[in-house]
Amino acid sequence: MAGNPACERFVPLLSPYIDGELAPSERVHVERHLAACRDCTGRSADLRAESGLLRVGLDMAVDDVDFKDFAQKVMARVTPEKPPLIERMRLALSEMFLYQRTAMLSSMATAAVVMLVALPLLLRDGAPEGYAAERMTVKSIQSYQGARVAPVVMETEGGASIIWMVDEQEQAPEPVKNAPAGVSGPPKKLDEAASEELGGELDGQGTQQPAVPAVPPRPTGGAL
Amino acid sequence: MCYGAALLATDDLTLVKRVRSGDQRAFKLLVERYQRKVYAVALGMLKDKEEAMDVSQEAFVKVYKYLDHFKGDASFYTWLYRITSNICIDVLRKRRGGGEQVEFDESQDMDLSEARIGALGSRLGTNPQKSALRKELAEKIQEALATVPEKHRAILLLREIEGMSYEDLARTLDIPKGTVMSRLFHARAKVQKILSDYLELDEAKSGVGSE
Repeated sequence: MAGNPACERFVPLLSPYIDGELAPSERVHVERHLAACRDCTGRSADLRAESGLLRVGLDMAVDDVDFKDFAQKVMARVTPEKPPLIERMRLALSEMFLYQRTAMLSSMATAAVVMLVALPLLLRDGAPEGYAAERMTVKSIQSYQGARVAPVVMETEGGASIIWMVDEQEQAPEPVKNAPAGVSGPPKKLDEAASEELGGELDGQGTQQPAVPAVPPRPTGGAL
Repeated sequence: MCYGAALLATDDLTLVKRVRSGDQRAFKLLVERYQRKVYAVALGMLKDKEEAMDVSQEAFVKVYKYLDHFKGDASFYTWLYRITSNICIDVLRKRRGGGEQVEFDESQDMDLSEARIGALGSRLGTNPQKSALRKELAEKIQEALATVPEKHRAILLLREIEGMSYEDLARTLDIPKGTVMSRLFHARAKVQKILSDYLELDEAKSGVGSE
């Protein structure tokens, strides 16, 4: 690197030396070396000249530039005029379709699949179907026209339903069905009329009384 | 003191707080405060005036956009220069098609023996009368800077233009202080060699030994 072997140690320190970045002890060492070494004195003078030249050179280049509108241009970019919300949404959508069509289409397809899966799951509780449903409701019980029995539905404290078939001709009523709540499975056939409308768990809710006397004329029998 | 004059004397961090609270004028002042230096860094990095102008604007726009990310534990200008030099490095990478630039091998010492020791110092000195030579060499600076790897160039520019301390440079560029020292040394040696060669050539052409 240099004729004087000591320079090898000091040359890398000349740059931080002219920048005033050396620790005081290192600075003293460098200054002692500079006092004894003409080459390193020349090198540090070169570094100072180069440093000044860089500043002058870039200053001169910047002096040629007109910064009159610079700040305004920046401000215009950071605070653009906001169009109305609908216009911005329309623009955003059109840009998305224009530049991210694939992503949009795949997102929409994913959303459609999710809806197809989620909707039946969400609606399942509202409209149970079939005997396997967890909870079912007696909607109505009625006998066919000309039948000789009329159904009477009663509810127990436990939520189970009791359906009595009352003989309209004062015959002893025939116990038909007791389906405790929460039990799945098809209700036993009461008779042709009753079985038509029974759809599931007999919890008494939504029970619609047929046009029979609210109190059976003379319930003479029944069974749970 | 009127509001504008009061703002002019306000420090960077206070202006940043004002911008965050919606004061657009405070941001304009920050732009005006640093526009020249940011442009000088960009010009030194890119060598192209129009590109440097675009990058300078982009740097301020980015600063505004991400102002909430500025923690305030470092100086505003170190953050601003970091953004500027990063944008410049991105532009340079795009320019050469995304490839990495070959860096100096910093484990090897620069051979300074070929450079004419003291040539720059003796011809320029501190004499303002030599402004013609300064101007001529100042133009050569751009060319010399372009030969320095971009990371070294960024350090050299930030040191010379902004006068950043090694501590600030380390923080701005997220590198150890020792790396700052080493890169600065190599960058200076490279620029110095080109300028010295130019001076030597100039002397040989004019047949003048020294001034």
